[in-house]
Amino acid sequence: MAFVDILLGGVFHAAVLFLVAAGLQLVFGVQKIVNLACGSFYALGAYFGISAVNWAIARGMPPGAFLPVLLVAGVALGVIGPAIEALLRTIYHRDEAFQLLLTFALVLMFQDVLRFFWGANPNQLGDLVMSYGKISAGAVTIPTYNVLVILASIAIAAGIGSFLKHTRFGRILRATAENREMSQALGVNVRWMYASVFTLGTVLGTVGGALVVPTAAATLDMPVELVVEAFAVVVIGGLGSMRGALAGALVVGLMRALSIRYYAELEMLAIYLVVIVILIARPAGLFGKAVE
Amino acid sequence: MNLKRRQLLQALGAAAAASYAGAPAFAQNTPLRVGIIAPKAGIAGTIGECGLRGTEYAVARINAAGGIAGRKVELIVEEETNPKDSIERLRKLVLQDKVDCVQGIVSSGVSLAMGAVAEEMKALTIFWDGTTQDGVKETMVNPRYVFKSTDNECEAVMGSLLAVKHWKGKFKTVAGINPDYSYGRNNFAAFQALLKKFGVEHTVVADQWPKVGTTDLTSHVAALKAAKPDLVFSSLLFADLPIFMRTAHGAGLMDGGTKFVFPAAGFQHTALKKSFTPEGMIFGHNTLYFDYDKGTPQQKEFVKQYYDKYKDYPNWEADRAYFAMEVYKAGVEAAYKAKNAWPGKEDVINAIEGVKVQSLGGPGHMRKDHIAEQTFYQGITTHKNNYDFPTLGTVDIMYSDQLQKPTGMDFWQWIETATIKL
Repeated sequence: MAFVDILLGGVFHAAVLFLVAAGLQLVFGVQKIVNLACGSFYALGAYFGISAVNWAIARGMPPGAFLPVLLVAGVALGVIGPAIEALLRTIYHRDEAFQLLLTFALVLMFQDVLRFFWGANPNQLGDLVMSYGKISAGAVTIPTYNVLVILASIAIAAGIGSFLKHTRFGRILRATAENREMSQALGVNVRWMYASVFTLGTVLGTVGGALVVPTAAATLDMPVELVVEAFAVVVIGGLGSMRGALAGALVVGLMRALSIRYYAELEMLAIYLVVIVILIARPAGLFGKAVE
Repeated sequence: MNLKRRQLLQALGAAAAASYAGAPAFAQNTPLRVGIIAPKAGIAGTIGECGLRGTEYAVARINAAGGIAGRKVELIVEEETNPKDSIERLRKLVLQDKVDCVQGIVSSGVSLAMGAVAEEMKALTIFWDGTTQDGVKETMVNPRYVFKSTDNECEAVMGSLLAVKHWKGKFKTVAGINPDYSYGRNNFAAFQALLKKFGVEHTVVADQWPKVGTTDLTSHVAALKAAKPDLVFSSLLFADLPIFMRTAHGAGLMDGGTKFVFPAAGFQHTALKKSFTPEGMIFGHNTLYFDYDKGTPQQKEFVKQYYDKYKDYPNWEADRAYFAMEVYKAGVEAAYKAKNAWPGKEDVINAIEGVKVQSLGGPGHMRKDHIAEQTFYQGITTHKNNYDFPTLGTVDIMYSDQLQKPTGMDFWQWIETATIKL
């Protein structure tokens, strides 16, 4: 039964990583930009989620009703997406190095924005997460809220998959990702498409941060920390692939959980060993497309 | 023309001599300038903030009572960040602001680097926290200008002693989850060494080393749960401890009879809510237990003022900061009294060596080797209080001469040979 606890710990971490990596994958898949600021969106969601919940509780909301507030807070932050996309538009045709530098600059700038609005100290939501109780089966116990986070990640993965595959917007989006010029020639408003995709990517990050923060803490260092792990996820899963994000997050989450259990000091080594093996044996990742 | 110039020079010389002669009197009428270097951001931000509030409280009291030997105290506050930048701020305080004393510092990483620079600059410096130890080995055995706090291991030693005192014979397997730097590693090693010293046979079934600031400890908790320890020793601190506590409670790690020792819990005691922090754990509050019913009137007044002003309860960094200011005050006043004139820096340093003060948390003194001795508080948690977080049901008090090595002694050798009363 102890092994089940370890697996659940790995799956929970995978769920968190997927929420960070999903936005990164979506934006790269369509816009071909490696958006390092995805970790900052996640952190912004976490901080804003705490403020929104505290605001709602101060106005009489029962503590147990915090989940919808977090979701609304995460979605509402999507308003920053079009503004940032307008900035990135200036470097779509530049070298990848410019794109990385600009999105890294955004990471640093967001850190100061978070510091300005929420201060430098870690923010937490106290014991709200306890209001959802625990689920026990034999010796295995898991907080109900952790199960909700895992289910939310699965729902988001399934929802995006279905959205991309079965909706008209999804088909246009995939077509634009395949061939921007042809889509444009066929009348697709690529500028609008890019702004929409970037906003969706932003919302994935902000909702992710807002959802996870009751179990953790919002800190100024979290964007960089998460991006480091998110990179392992996209390298393993394949850059630009949503299925790859899911698979990569599971590999990283489970590798981390197992190494923490059996060789705690080799946590990062174990994860990046997989990254190196993938880079050598299958450079495009498990679900990525090889560049011709 | 020459005569006039000579007369002018003589007049200037006389004026200069007069102003020099009046310098000590002038100095006594100006405020004493104390530079504070404390973290305002990051994981130690709340700790630095609490320390600064302790300093401000001390200075308000001192100034209301007429100052230190008649001189008011003026604070110049700088931020503690990484060692390099913090040392630059030390230089600025000493060279540009010309402070009379520097106080502060929470991180051992900073104090270790800053100690040598302060010594080189001959800057009278009193650390709140941190040490100048490399691991547990003292790098500045006989400093002249730097005064240090108690060793970081004091709380781990006391927590270990209480585990032996309360639970000897009730546990055989132990696990550790400690921050992955020298503080965490030394603490867990000290815990095991003390178990050995007191004949507690035990097996370490798990040791986890999350880096400071890890926000997801689910897998670490799962690993601890899988190892089924009778006792968990954890010197996690800052925001990491509430995350661990919440995660461990949610995963059922606290549902069985596992015992817990948290020597540094007092740093974030108000964030450890009752709903996920059970009773019966050993909690360390270091040199200030805010709710001690036999605390001094000074402590009670401070805690009340602190709550009224900040709607929070202070942790031990407030006491460390208060202690540093009281040590400086006592040193200056003793030197002033002995000299019957305003003392120089060397006089003050001589007076601080061995000085005894009453800090917020209780009595303390500064050893001749410039290491502080203070009163420490730990105990077993209870929910029987009016707060939303646990306090201590039983309070154990120890003076740090029972918890830290004497001058020049090796820490591990001290543990083996010391006569420690439980």
